[in-house]
Order: sequence, then structure tokens, then C-alpha cells
Amino acid sequence: MQKLIASVLAAASLWAGAALADPPKGYPFVDFDAGLKAAKSSGKPIFMYFGRYGCAWCDHTNKTTFSDAGLKQLYSENYVLVYVDAESGRRLTLPTGERITEAELGVRLQAFATPLFVYLTPQGDKIFQAPGFKTVKDFQDYDRYVRGGHYKQKTLLEFLGEKS
Amino acid sequence: MRAAILLLAAVTGPAHAGWSWSEPLTVNTAPGVNIFPHLESANRQGIAVSGGTVGVVWEDNRSGAPQCYLAVKPAKAKGFQREIRLGKQECYEPVVLALDGGRFLAAWEEAGRVYAQVWPQGRRLQLAGTGAAQVTLARGGGALYAAWAEQAGRFRRIVVATLTETRGALAVQSAQPVEAAEPVDEQGWPALAVAGDGTLAVAWEDRRHRHTVPMVSHRRDGGFTPPVRLTDIKSGSAPGGLGAGTGAMRPTLARWGERGLVAVWLDKRDFLSGYDVYAAFDPGTRSFGRNLKVQDSFGDNMAQWHALVVSDGTRLVALWDDARDGTPDVWLSAWDGEAFGDDVAVPGAHGPGAQSDPVATLDAKGTLHVAWLDRDAAGVTRVRYARAVRQ
Repeated sequence: MQKLIASVLAAASLWAGAALADPPKGYPFVDFDAGLKAAKSSGKPIFMYFGRYGCAWCDHTNKTTFSDAGLKQLYSENYVLVYVDAESGRRLTLPTGERITEAELGVRLQAFATPLFVYLTPQGDKIFQAPGFKTVKDFQDYDRYVRGGHYKQKTLLEFLGEKS
Repeated sequence: MRAAILLLAAVTGPAHAGWSWSEPLTVNTAPGVNIFPHLESANRQGIAVSGGTVGVVWEDNRSGAPQCYLAVKPAKAKGFQREIRLGKQECYEPVVLALDGGRFLAAWEEAGRVYAQVWPQGRRLQLAGTGAAQVTLARGGGALYAAWAEQAGRFRRIVVATLTETRGALAVQSAQPVEAAEPVDEQGWPALAVAGDGTLAVAWEDRRHRHTVPMVSHRRDGGFTPPVRLTDIKSGSAPGGLGAGTGAMRPTLARWGERGLVAVWLDKRDFLSGYDVYAAFDPGTRSFGRNLKVQDSFGDNMAQWHALVVSDGTRLVALWDDARDGTPDVWLSAWDGEAFGDDVAVPGAHGPGAQSDPVATLDAKGTLHVAWLDRDAAGVTRVRYARAVRQ
């Protein structure tokens, strides 16, 4: 199914009053600096949505996955939600104190596709990142992996393998 | 088959053919852990050569906050002189342009304003007020230009200024937005070039089509021509109204040939392999043609970053960094008149550690000067420099 969608998206052609690929509506996304500050204060992990303006797969994920009310509640309540624009010159401050642009964060993450979803500890250390379209179940599994602390003992693949 | 080709490439090492390189020099005097130099700027204009003197500008946080610096290496000096600080407050994205007689014009963003200053012995001049950033410079046809992104309502738009310089004293002769109307979405990262016939061109990244598209305009009859896109693919949603188009960003621009221009930018039309380096030429018709992929096939399945083009009119080189050999390295490709040649690793900017963020220029003799960031295993980043002649 994903291959089919990929083929369709790759064949994108006509301008059709496109919806934008911004953060999904109704979620309390904030910028990187505000999110890092909020995470340190609250102790919540960070869920970072690295999206691109006009990105079809981001749009698809927003409409298909983030529209789920349960997912919205799960992530809004348990994560500090950060949105980063993959091509923006807006600046952010890394936990090291380094000031870079949002686009440069893509270089550091070795991002090759959007959307890219990155889970971070409340201190801003990366737990793991997952590129591309994800389902509600994917995000539920990632949540269990992160908030259950399983990432401290096993890789995401090991964790997911045990669950299947 | 592809694995076999990659293995062969790994065994034989990177190609350096055709270029003779100097030993790299360290430019910055204060490298250290948690000091982060950056070579980022509009049109990636971090190095210039004037009368044999090399000038390099960058930003780092040695003082506790981002500040801009300029270091110069006189023609006969073995190394760079100690850098001078350009800004007074938090400073970002400095650029440098060669004037005559070993002099330079530097410009930068400082606390949301844009400044410029002649080195040596110039006084700084504020080019733009609150909400301005991403300044770049150009010189040609007997004129001096600056461009930047400036707040106009909700978004930034591109403004181009003509400057005058008399014995180090700068003045803004005129400044006008490329488009009179307020922008309908964000514009930024301008690049300027003056063609051999004196035509001024400005390219920038633009979101009016609801995704990021490099646009270009030319100055004509005291104004600017309506912007057109550099990319030869149209904006458009995927079925279902998803998205608005693939992304392309950070255009760079240089003169080419007697009347022509060349642009190079990062382009994500192949959305599964990160940004690729693309180029387009304007042969002098004031219309950019078919887009060309710059990097060779060994770089196809790899994200390219920090791309730029440099040209002296007769020689043309594109540079960028990518991690095809495992860690980020600086690569270049020279235009042979019909196509971009095989990718060549910059020897001092290849190997263990991360070498990235190239800036470059071609001097009057055709020597290529390159500066880049070199981050070692201990996390210490140096600004490095080398020059090369093509054999």
C-alpha cells in the first residue's frame, strides 16, 4: 500500500490549491527552543516533527494519522511537541549551546526525507528518529518504547520484534 | 553492481584528478570544545580574494554569544592574521566581497539589522533596520550592490541596494524591494550576480507557491523584472490535494561567460534521497534553462548540503558536502563547457571527522580558494582553508 501511495505522490502534477504541510491542527506544537525549555521544566520527553513546507507525505500523515483523537490526546498530554521547518532559516539553540538554523538541524539529523519524527529526552538527547509516513499504531508503539523506558535497554527494532 | 562500484571507489579512494592543492591552513585562532564556527550566509559568500589577499568571514560563539569575524592572509604571508570582530552585538551570517587593492567589504546581520563595513579603515554602515537578515553582496559593471531579506508586513521580502564606496566610506545610493507589493509568503536567502554586460540578477528562495522555490529577477529600467522560478518543475499537489510541491532552497548565483549567469541550489525533487545539487544557466537571454543535476551518480543516493557555485566568467565550479564516504566531506565538480565533471574530493577536506560547509571563490588568476569547517573526533571545529589550481 505504501508503495502505491509513493508512486501516486511521486507523480504529483497539477496545482490544486494545495493544503500545506504544517503541524497537524489542534496539537500544541511549539518551536525548538520553547520545547526544550518546556521539556526540561516538565520532565516530559520531546516529540519533534521535522516537516517541510508543502511536503505531501507530511500532509498525508497529518490527515491520515494525526487526525486520530486518541493519538492527539496521547501525544498532547505526554510529550512536549516541537515542530521544525526543514528549510527555514529560523534559529534554534541545541542543548550544547550551539545556535543553528532549523534547516541546519536537518543536516545534523542526516534527514533525507520528510516527515521525520524524532524522540528526545527532556534534556534534548536523541532517543531515535523515524522518517516517512507512520500510522497511529506506529506512534502508539513508539510511545510505549519511549515512555516505557525500553530505549535504555534495547533498540527500537528489538522492542518491536518482541511485541509482534 | 552498485555495491561493486562503491567498493571499487572505496578501494581506489577519492579522485583528486586535475587539481593541485596547497596544504590546508587553519583560519580561526580560537577553536575549542563548545565553540561552534559557522560558514553560513546568503550566496555562501564567506571568502574573497583582493590583490592576492584572502579574506574569510565566519561566525562563532567564543565570547558566549554568536559573533562575526574576519581574518585575512596577505599574499606572501604563510598564514592568516588574527581575526577581527565585525559586529558589536549578536551577529550572524557574515559575507565578504573583494574590493580593489587588498581591501574587502564585509556585511552581516546584527541583532536583526544589516550592516556593512570596508576593511581596513572603514566605518560600519547600517543598511537595513529591524527585521532584516541574510545579507549578500556583489560587484560588477562599476557598481556595488547588496541584497537582504527584510520584514514587510507578515513576511520578509528581498531588497536590493546600490552602494557607493569612497576611500572606505560607504553609502546607500538607493534601495528598493524586488517587488513593490507586500510578500504573500516568506522570501529569503538572496544571491546576487552581475553579468558581463552589467545586468544585475537576484535569486532567492520563495514560498509564494506554498512550498520553497528558488526565484530569480533581473534589474531593468530602474526596476526589477517579474520573478520567475529557477526550477523547471511545476508546483503541484499530489492526488488528494496533498502538499504543494517538492522543496528547493538556498540558491547561489554567479556570472558566466560574456553575458551569462549560472545558478546552483539544493533540490529535493527526488524526495527519497535528500537534497541534490542542481544548476541552471542563463546564456545571456535573461532566461534560465533546463535544470542539470550537478553531482555524479556516486552521490545520487545521498543527501547533499551547503551547495554553491563560483565562477570568474570562464571557469565554473560547484561545491558542496556529502557523506558518501561515511562522514561529511567537501566535494567539487567543474563545468567542462557541456556538462559537470566527475565529483572530486577536496583533499584537505576529506577523510576522518566531518568536513563541511564549503565557501569558495575564484581569483583573477583562476586559482580556486576554498574554506570549510573541519570538526574532529573531540568535537573541536576549525575553519580551514586551501587553494588549488587546475592542471
